[in-house]
Amino acid sequence: MACKKYGVSIDTIQKAQILIKEYINLTPVIHSTTLNSLSRKTLFFKSECFQKSGAFKFRGAANAVFSLQEEQAAKGVVTHSSGNHAAALSLAAQLRGIPSYVVIPNTAPKCKVANVKRYGGIVRFSEPTMQSREETAIRVLQETGAVLVPSSNDVRIISGQGTLSLEFLDQAPELDTLIVPISGGGLLSGVAIGAKSKNPAIRVLGAEPKGADDAAQSKACGRLVSLSHTNTIADGLRASMGDITWPIVRDLVDDIITVNDEEILQAMRYSYEILKVAVEPSAAIGLAAVLSDNFKKHPC
Amino acid sequence: MEDKKYAADIDSITKAHALIKPYVHITPVLSSETLNSIAGKSLFFKCECFQKGGAFKFRGASNAIFSLDEEQAAKGVVTHSSGNHAAALALAAKLRGIPAYIVIPKNAPKCKVENVKCYGGQIIWSEATMQSREETANKVLHETGAVLVHPYNDSRIISGQGTLSLEFLDQVPQLDTLIVPISGGGLISGVTIGAKSMNPAIRVLAAEPKGADDAAQSKASGRIITLPQTDTIADGLRASLGDLTWPVVRDLVDDIITVDDKEIVEAMRYCYEVLKVAIEPSGAIGLAAVLSDKFKRNPAWKDSRNIGIVLSGGNVDLGVLWESLNN
Repeated sequence: MACKKYGVSIDTIQKAQILIKEYINLTPVIHSTTLNSLSRKTLFFKSECFQKSGAFKFRGAANAVFSLQEEQAAKGVVTHSSGNHAAALSLAAQLRGIPSYVVIPNTAPKCKVANVKRYGGIVRFSEPTMQSREETAIRVLQETGAVLVPSSNDVRIISGQGTLSLEFLDQAPELDTLIVPISGGGLLSGVAIGAKSKNPAIRVLGAEPKGADDAAQSKACGRLVSLSHTNTIADGLRASMGDITWPIVRDLVDDIITVNDEEILQAMRYSYEILKVAVEPSAAIGLAAVLSDNFKKHPC
Repeated sequence: MEDKKYAADIDSITKAHALIKPYVHITPVLSSETLNSIAGKSLFFKCECFQKGGAFKFRGASNAIFSLDEEQAAKGVVTHSSGNHAAALALAAKLRGIPAYIVIPKNAPKCKVENVKCYGGQIIWSEATMQSREETANKVLHETGAVLVHPYNDSRIISGQGTLSLEFLDQVPQLDTLIVPISGGGLISGVTIGAKSMNPAIRVLAAEPKGADDAAQSKASGRIITLPQTDTIADGLRASLGDLTWPVVRDLVDDIITVDDKEIVEAMRYCYEVLKVAIEPSGAIGLAAVLSDKFKRNPAWKDSRNIGIVLSGGNVDLGVLWESLNN
C-alpha cells in the first residue's frame, strides 16, 4: 500500500502515538455476550467515549497541538467544529498552555459548548453551514495569527486518530473487521491506514447516517460529493470529506453502511442498557450498522 | 487482623479468584480530571457495571455456583433478591447448566426482572418485605431441594465479591482509601478483608442512602439494626446486614457516610455526563459520598489522596432514570 501519497502513513501514526502517549487515555475494549447473540458476531467495543474530553478527537488534537513549534504555538490554535473537536483542541491547547479559538455553529448541543468553555476555549458562534463555519474561522485566524487546525482534513489530525487502530489491534489482535463512524473522514482514514498496515487482510467499514450520506454517495460514484444540508440526530456526523480524507476513504475503506435515526437510537439504547456505556448518537452508529439489514446482507 | 474469625479471609478470596477467573470480566478502572477537580482528590472508578450481568454480584454468584459439588448442583439453586444478585445467580447457573429459582419482590425494577428471564431464571414473586422474601425462598427450597444462595450473607458470596479488591489494588496499587456501597454488606465485607490483607494501612468507607441507613445506625450503636421500611431511589441498597457481614462491618470498615437521594442523583448525572458510564442509583453512591459535605469536612479523611470508588452496577430502567434526572 503506497501510503506516502496520502500524506499519512503507518510512520506518521506511530510518531503520533509516541508524541501523545502521555496525554491520552488508553481506552478499554468492552464485550457483551448479549450483543454477540443479537448480532451473531463477536463484537469488541473500543470505548473512546472514555477518552480525554469524552471522544476520540483528543488524539488528533493532541498530536496537532504538541507537534507545533514554539513560535507557531505561541499565537494559539483556531478551528471550527460542531463540538467534540472543539473541546478536544481546547483541552490540548490548555495542556500546552496556549490559547485556543473555537468557532462553533449556533445549533451545537449545549454540553459540547460547555465543554469548550470548561477547557478554556474562546468561543465564536457561526451559522450552522460549512461555509459560515469556514469563513468565521478564517476571520479569527486573520485577527489572531493562530494556526488553523481543522477537525478532520489534516495529516496531523488523521495520524492522531490513527493511533486508535494501533491500540485496538494490540488489545484485540483477532479482529478481522472494523466498523468506524464517518463524518469528515479523519477517524476512518487514520484507522484504515493504521489497521491495514498492521493487518493487510483486515476489512474496514464506515458507518454513516442515511440523512448525511455524502460519503456513501461519494464512494458509489467515485468522486467527492457534499450535501447542502443534513438531517440526522447524529450531530457529530454532518461534515463532508476533504481532499486529504477522501482519497483514503476512496481507496482503503471497503464499504460504507448507512443507517437511519431509528436504528441509531436503538443502538444507543443497547449501549446504555446492555453495555452500560453512555454514548452520544454518533458514537452508537457502529453498533447500529452491524445490527442493520444492510450489514447482514453484506457479502462480508 | 485475625481473618479466621470472619466468614471469609484472603485465602478464600484468592481461591474464589482462581475459580471464577474463566467466567468474570476484569473490569476497567476509569478516572476523570474533571471529577478530580470537583472532589479535590484523585479518584479511581472500578467499573463493575461492565461486569457480566451488569453488576459486581456475578463474582459472588459464580463462586457459589462453581464451588457446589455435582450432587448439590443437580437440584439447582434458589435465592431471593431485589435484582442484581437474581440475574447474576441465574446467569452463573445457566453457565453451569443447572436450574435457578429466583424469588423477586414485587417492586423490583423491570430491567432487573428482564435480566433474570434473559438468563433463564425461574421467577417466583414475593411481597416487598425482607420477611416475605425469606419465607417464599424457604418454601421453594423445600419444594425443590435446591441450594439456598443468599444474596450476601454467605461466605462463598463474600469471598467472590472480595475478588474485586484483588483486581482493584493490582490495577491501582497507590490506593489509600476505598469507598464501597453498602446494602447487606456482602460486597464491603469481601472487599475490606481482601484490601486490608493486601494493604493493612488502606481505609475502607461505606456509602449508604440516608433513607436506608441501617448500617450507619448499627455501626453507631454497636449492634445490628434493621429498618421496617426503607425509602431511597437506590433500589439495590435496601437490605439489612446479616450475622456474617455485620462483624466485618463492625470491626474492619472505618466509617459509613450517608447521602440523600438528591446527592445520589447528582452523582449519577456526573457518571453519565463526565465519566460516560451508564450507572444505576446504587452504583453512583460512592461518588455521591466522596462529593458530600460530610466527607469533605471530616478531618479523618483529609489525608486520603488516592480514592478507589466502586461503581457497583448499571441496571436501571431508563424511564425511571430520565424522571430522576429531570426532577
